[in-house]
Parts: sequence; structure tokens; C-alpha cells
Amino acid sequence: MYDKEKGLFEAFVAKKMSRRELIQATGKAGLSASAAGFLLTQAQTRAMAADFDWMKYKGSKLKLLLNKHPYADAMIANIETFKSMTGMDISWDIFPEDVYFDKVTAALSSGSTEYDAFMTGAYMTWTYGPAGWITDLNEFIKDPAKTNPNYNWEDVLPGLRASTSWNGVPGGELGSADAKQWCIPWGYELNNISYNKKMFDKVGVQPPKNLGEMVEISAKLTKDLGGPYGIGVRGSRSWATIHPGFLSGYANFGEKDFTVADGKLKAAMNTAGSKSFHADWVKMIQDSGPKNWSTYTWYQVGTDLGAGASAMIFDADILGYFMNGGDNKEKGNLGYAPFAANPNASAPTPNVWIWSLAMNNAGTQKDATWYFLQWATSVEHDLFGARKMDFVNPVRASVWKDEEFRNRIDKSYPGYLNQHDVSAPGAKIYFTAQPLFFDLTTLWAENLQKMVAKEIPVDEGLDTMAAEIDKKLAEAGLG
Amino acid sequence: MDHTSTFEKTLRGVLITLVLVFFLFPIVWIFLMSLQTNETILRIPPSLAFTPIIDNYTALITGQLRTAAGSLQLNFMQNMFNSVLLSVCSVAVSLVLGVPAAYAFARFKFRLGEDIAFTLLSFRFAPALLVLLPLSLYFKSLGLTNTYVGLIWVYQLICLPLILWIVRGYFEDISPDIEHAYRIAGNSWWQTFRKISIPLAKPGIAAAGLLAFIFAWNNFVFALILASADKQPVTVGALAFVTASGIQYGQIAAAIIISITPTLALALYAQRYLVEGLSMGAVKG
Amino acid sequence: MTAAATEMRTPVKQSRFMRRALPYLLSLPALLMCIGILIPFFTAVYYSMLRYRMNLPAMKGFIWFDNYLNFFTDPKFWNTVYISLTYAFLTVGLELLLGLGIALLLQRPSRFNNIASILLLLPLMTAPALAALMWKLMTHPDFGILSYLLTVIGVQNFKWASDPSTALFTVLLVDMWVYTPFIMILLLAGLRSLPKAPFEAAALDGVPRSFVFFRITLPMLMPYIITATLFRLLDSIQQFDIIYAMTQGGPGDKLLVFQVQAYLDFFQATNVGRSAALMIILWAITYALSNVFIKQWLKLRERAHGAH
Repeated sequence: MYDKEKGLFEAFVAKKMSRRELIQATGKAGLSASAAGFLLTQAQTRAMAADFDWMKYKGSKLKLLLNKHPYADAMIANIETFKSMTGMDISWDIFPEDVYFDKVTAALSSGSTEYDAFMTGAYMTWTYGPAGWITDLNEFIKDPAKTNPNYNWEDVLPGLRASTSWNGVPGGELGSADAKQWCIPWGYELNNISYNKKMFDKVGVQPPKNLGEMVEISAKLTKDLGGPYGIGVRGSRSWATIHPGFLSGYANFGEKDFTVADGKLKAAMNTAGSKSFHADWVKMIQDSGPKNWSTYTWYQVGTDLGAGASAMIFDADILGYFMNGGDNKEKGNLGYAPFAANPNASAPTPNVWIWSLAMNNAGTQKDATWYFLQWATSVEHDLFGARKMDFVNPVRASVWKDEEFRNRIDKSYPGYLNQHDVSAPGAKIYFTAQPLFFDLTTLWAENLQKMVAKEIPVDEGLDTMAAEIDKKLAEAGLG
Repeated sequence: MDHTSTFEKTLRGVLITLVLVFFLFPIVWIFLMSLQTNETILRIPPSLAFTPIIDNYTALITGQLRTAAGSLQLNFMQNMFNSVLLSVCSVAVSLVLGVPAAYAFARFKFRLGEDIAFTLLSFRFAPALLVLLPLSLYFKSLGLTNTYVGLIWVYQLICLPLILWIVRGYFEDISPDIEHAYRIAGNSWWQTFRKISIPLAKPGIAAAGLLAFIFAWNNFVFALILASADKQPVTVGALAFVTASGIQYGQIAAAIIISITPTLALALYAQRYLVEGLSMGAVKG
Repeated sequence: MTAAATEMRTPVKQSRFMRRALPYLLSLPALLMCIGILIPFFTAVYYSMLRYRMNLPAMKGFIWFDNYLNFFTDPKFWNTVYISLTYAFLTVGLELLLGLGIALLLQRPSRFNNIASILLLLPLMTAPALAALMWKLMTHPDFGILSYLLTVIGVQNFKWASDPSTALFTVLLVDMWVYTPFIMILLLAGLRSLPKAPFEAAALDGVPRSFVFFRITLPMLMPYIITATLFRLLDSIQQFDIIYAMTQGGPGDKLLVFQVQAYLDFFQATNVGRSAALMIILWAITYALSNVFIKQWLKLRERAHGAH
């Protein structure tokens, strides 16, 4: 039925026809937009399929463990492409994010073979990797027999490729030459400012350019707006409080969480620079932060921005992205700005969260699973997600250059592209990779809470915390 | 019984009203939230003026959620089914095992009696977290992972001790005389148990069964760890509305209201039996 | 005595063996059903004697009771003990008083009282994790209806769960909201099943009400009170859902009760040894407390039976 149109799409995919020509031609052929989209994806898939035997594991059945997340939704929307291309059957279990990682830990620690691949964050691989629960994917990526030639691994942003690989040595630099690739980046978020333009205009301020300005401007906003508070940042008793804006600003001043010497780790949160940063951050929260700050997670920070209870957030850019749509009161009012906390820094150094796909080491169909992984992280699927679904941020440079994607974002989310482009070069994980990541970072958050509640002073508190951390490192044989 | 002064009556009325307000206000609030969109819920300051919508309920029941980004599949009714199945079966099994056992402890002084009773109670001491990892390992080797049977078995840890000790208390309170009278009249032990003991202890059995049902219904950690997505109970289902693109309070509220309904229906049905404590009191003394 | 004598005259024969075996036949199925949990339990005990952190597999080793000894010298452990016991006793104590009061208010069987008592069970029917989520919204400074109501009566900026000084109060409030109905319904059923005779006699004799309450009602109700309190205590000392949903154990370390700490130890840090040891300690505390309660309960029962 669509044979003539198929030819059009093939020409487009083979770059013999421009997008405009394609749209005109399909319009003339009377194709609806959705049919055109479907055929385009098919053509791209066929091109993908042409040089590589995608059908090698035909008939296999794979099972995925997924988090309830827009990235998973995007993949499910496109899953038919995978099934028809490889002849594989695929099913999945979706769990809500609140309990997702508990399920993953439980499944992996019991040696379950039920799931072949699953979603994870990079930090979790610092646990799963050394525990032997996930497979080093280098053996697949580097093998031309297993990976299709158009995969273009180098297209994935270098900071992300490095941040998802670790050699397992505590303190070992992420992305080192001997690093194991524990997971494949799928979608990521970097930390910057999302702000309410209307509120900013009302008070007459611009997005801050460094930490000092941020403290000042948040205070001004809190005072002059008569209701909303100036700056939303996370504060719950969790590693996730240190990870977003806090660490991004912290790293911008060149501060570290640990120093590594002779393979031994030592806490570095009590340097003079760190103490100064903490003092400013704590004061900012006390003066202009959310009133219930110490219970604030991703959700509260976002909800407040979306409902007009806060003027800006220093958190994941995609959080600001989501709050600018849906049924949020402030949708359409939000703007985005890159942020470098250090006035002397040349560019932002945002810490990142990378949702990735990992392979269960206890799985029984690793080669077939790799086929799924390379499809789900392919250029084609990334483009699909970026153009058609809410798949931000894509991890591939080529997708960020894609016109259709850029136009879509620019139209509804002004400033978003700029904040990303400016920040992407410096976007990576600034934590030191070590097995005690969760314990110690949660401890850090706990102490931050005590500082904000004025239970402990900043300077002495950090000294005590560093000593406690050093002790724990020594007990675990790391320090 | 008529020496309750008007002062007392008013005081009683005021106190009951306060109690009802404290416990039911949040429920009413949740119900109101279930009829609103997220945007109206998150207003500053919160307000009671809104136009009710039933979209949240239709989304949950039909399984289709229309959002700005398109249509999402929901699985909530499957979660409801799981919860009903697990709770009903677990309580049924616990009653069948627990009521006779409670009778035994109450009526007979047998060696090891108290030890067995205490052991059965002690299963409630084990925090779930203690046994989760070993349990998942053993389930795996026994092939019980992701089975209703496996979960119902684990749920006995929650329901059985409760039913046992509550019903035991009731049996202890029933005077043995009427049972002896029935036995003397020529009935077997089993007939006595069925026709006399159980009916007399109905309030206790009803209360225990209802409470066991509630605790089984609200438990989710065992299902989470030991089963796959298709067997998850309502609590996990409701948590799915805590998404990266925002907490869907309206849907969570609707989910809570829907998930309360079966338990409420059961409670209303059981309240008949809870009342019958009166007749039992007449037997004693 | 008379019962035994009567029994020998019944037409229905029952062998002595049957009579002796009957209680075991009745109770053993229940026991056998649950006995399986002992295997995972002893496995967990074994874990608690290991140094075992899943992402540091090289360090795995059998260390006898070192995990326990490390706890006893760790001030954070004692903080956990302190806050867990405080939480447990406060919740159970307050819920007992409130539950008893409500049961007394509703004890007369009337249509209204019956419906009210069932409606009061609604908070209990709400899964605690979800209830905490809703309470978190209700106590939000901007969208929360409770914060709003407080501002109406002049209390500004109440910090609810986010401030160390009010966090315990807030989670206590949520706990009481969810669990008081549990005690209420048990005590109500108990009150309704008390014999009428002593009360009628007291009324006839013109005995003052406080005397009736303290010397007649309360003692007869005691076994029910003990049962209800015991089960609430068992659950409260193992509290996880409410506290984790509201503060994850914070602010600071104010609410780091046993199961929250063990959850973080196992699921975040994958420290199997430590979390198992912590839970065994919790189990031991629960065992000891329950023993006390059960002994009391049995004593009361004996006294009650002796009085017959």
C-alpha cells in the first residue's frame, strides 16, 4: 500500500532528499502525519538493519525492569520498531520510582535471572559493579561482531561516557583507560537554574551569575514578591540533596568531596573553601529557601516552581522543563539559565544524573540483551524520543544538533537550549567514585540539615563530619 | 441508666464531634482532592471552591490516563484485584488455622501450650527487613517467587498471630459452662465448637478478621520484593503517581478512595457481628 | 472435677488419646504454617555475624559478634534505641488513652455509635505510606490545608516535619491518626462483651461512676487492653512507612528509628551484616517486651478464671 511512499522515505534516510522535500512529497501523497512518522521510523530502522544481522536472536524473549519515567514511556511507545526489526519478544515490569531501586537491589542481590536489563543511575553502578551484579559492556561495544556499525558510541557526550564507567578502584577516576563500562547512558539531567520569568520581571532582577548574586537575588525575591520564596533547593535526608545544585556549585569552586593519595581516600569537606561555600549555602536556605526545606525532594522543589510558590530553582534542568508544561499553574512562564557559582569560573560545572541501561550479570541471554541495549540507546531511538516524546535530555551530540528537536524545544522552552549548550562541556559527575557513596553522602546531607537548623555550627560541624567520614573509610579499608 | 445530665450529653456530643473531625477531616479532604486536577489542588492558599471532575476516577478505572503528553496505560485495577485476592485469601487461611488454635489455647491447658502460643506470636516480632533477603533467596529456590501462593503464605506472618491472640481472648471470656451443657446433651466436640463456641466468639472473630484484613491490605513490602509487577498491591499502584514530571495528587487521592472502598464495605458488613457482644454478655455471669 | 465426671457419662465416646491430642491437632497446623520463617530467620542471624557489604565482597568474613559490639560503642546506635523506644512508648501510650476514651464514648450500641465506630476505622484502612504522603501535602506551607488553618488561628510558619523541634510531634500526629482506630475497635468490642451483671448491681447500689470505671470496667477490660497495646507496641517499635515517607529519618538524625536505619543500611549501603545485626537487636527488644506483656496477660487470665 505504501510502496511509493517507502521509496520517498528511503531516499530521505539515505540523505538524498531534504526534510522539506520529504514533507512536501508526503503531503502530496496524502499521508497523514502519524503514518508519515511511522513510515519514517520504519525506514530508519531498515537502514539500521541493512548492514547488520539484527535478526540473529530472533525468537528470544527478554524482560526488562523499568522505572516509571518518561524515558521508559518513550521507549515503550517505540518498542514495535525493535520487535519487528529483531524478531525478539520483549516484556517489562514497571515499578514506581519511590520503590524502584529497592526492587532492583532485591532482584540483583538474590541473583534473580528474571530481568535481562534494567534502568539505573550511574551512582548505583558503584555498588552493582563491585558486587558483580552487572556486566562490563565494553566487551560488547568494542566487538564489531556484536555491535552494529552505525551505533556510533563516540556520539554520546564524552562527559557522560566517562561518568558511567569506572575501574572499580575507590577513588579511581571515572572514565579512565582501564574503566569498565557499567551502563549505557540513556537520558540525563544537568543542574542549572530554572526560574519564573514573570516573577523576576515583577521584581526587576535577572538570573544570578554567581553564588553571591544568587544569595542576594533570592533574598530580594523573597522580600519583594510577598508570598513565594526565592530559591528552591533540595533538603531531604538523602544523598539526592547533595547531588544536584549543591555539588554543582561546590565543584565550580574547585572543591572536592575526597582527596585521593596512594590509593587512600580522605574527606575534603572541611577545607576553608568548602566551609565558606557551606556557610553561604546554609544562609541562603535559611533566608530565602523553602520553609519545610528539610523534607524537600525533587518532587517538592519542582511542584513549588510549577505552582508558583517559588521564584527559581537550582536543580535539574529537566525538572524545570517538566514544570513548564502539563497542568502546572506557571506553565509557559519559566525560563532557563546556565549557572556557574564561582565568579572566577569560566563556565558552569554541573553535576549530572544519568539514567542508564545496565545488563544483569546473572542474565542468561546477554548477547540478545545487548541487541536491545544498543537499539534503545541508538541514534534513531534517541531522535525519536527527543522529537516525538518528552525525552530530555538526550545523551547524543547528534541529537542536540537535530533541527526538529531544537526547534521544538526553542519554541516552548526558551533559554533551555542555551543553558544546555553552555553547560554540556563541563557536565559530568563530580563525586569521587567509591563504594561508600550512599552512606557518606547521606551523612553529608544529614549534617547539612543540622547546620540549617542551627544545631551545629558550619565550621566545627564540617570538621567533625570529616573526622567521622575518615573513620568510616578506615573501617572499610578505603582510607 | 438515666442519670446522664444534659451537661453530660452535650459534653459527650462535643467530644464525639471533635473525634470525628480529627479522624475524618483528612479523609474528606482526600476525597475532595480526588475530584480536582493537580492545578486546583496546588493553589495558594488552599481553597474549597472548585468544579469537581471525575477524570481521576475514570482514568484509574478504565486504565487510560490522558495527559498533555498523550495517553498513558495504567494498571490500577489489576493492583486492586491483587490486593483483594491476597487479603481475602490470607485472612481466610488465617481464620481456618487460627480460630481452632485460639480455641485450643483458651480451653485446654496442655504442655507446650503457652510455648506454642508465644512462638506463634513471636513471628510478629521479626521485622520484615530482617527476613527479606533470605526469604527472597529461599523463594527463588523453592520456585515461589511471583506466585500468589507464596505471598499468601508469607502474609500468614501478619494475619495469623493477630487473629490467634485476639480470638483467644474472646474464647477465654466465654464461660465453658454452656459448652459443657451442650456436650452433655450428646453433641460431639466438633459440633459444640461449630454451633456454640464460634457464634459466641463472633465479635472477636469479626474484629480480628477485619483487622487482619486491613493489615494484609496495607502491606506492600513482601509483594514488592517477592513478586513481579503484575502481582503488586494497591499501595504500590498508587505510588506510581509519584512521577518525575510531578506528583499527581488528584490520582493518588482517587486511588486511596478506591482502595479504601472494599475494606470499608467489609467493615460495614462486619459491624453487625461486632455489635453482638451484647448477647454474649448475657450468657456470662 | 464435675466436668470430667460429666464427660465420662456422655454417650459420645472420646478416647483419652483423642482428648490429649486434640489441642495439638488444633494448634499445630497454625504453627507448621509459620514455622518456615525460622529458616530465613536463622539465616539472618548468620548474616548478622558476618562482615558483609555487598559492594565490598573482598571484605566478607565471619566476625562472630563484632557487629553487635560495634553497635554498643556507637553513639548513633544509642540514638536509634532512644528514639525508637521514645516513639514506641509515646505512640502506644497516647493511642491507648485516646482509643480508650473514644471506645468509652461509643460503647452504647446504637446505630449512630456503630456507624461512627466503623467510619473511625477509615484512617486505619489508608495505607500508612500513602497517608504520610497526603499528610506531607496537608502540612505544606503553601498548599497545605493544615498549615492554612493554623495561619487562620494565628500560628505562622509552623515547621511540621522539617524542624527538629516539631518533627517528632508531626509524625506522632500522623501515627495517632492512622493507628488509634486499631485500639479503639478492639477496646470497643471488648467493652461490648463485658457482662452486664456487675454494672447493673453497681447501678442498683448507687456506686459512683469513677469507682465503677476504675474498679470494675478497667480490670475486666485489662486483658483486651494488654492485647491491643501489645500489638501496637510491636508495630510501633518497627515503624518504617510513616517516618520514612515524611522525613527519611531526619531532620538530622532525629527520627532514625531501627527499621529506617536498617533499611538504609541494607538497600542503600548493601551492608547485609550490619542491617541484620540491627534487626536482631530490635527483635530481641521486642521479644523481651512481649514476654513482659504476655506474662501479665496470663496472670490476669488466671485470676479471672479462678474467680469463676
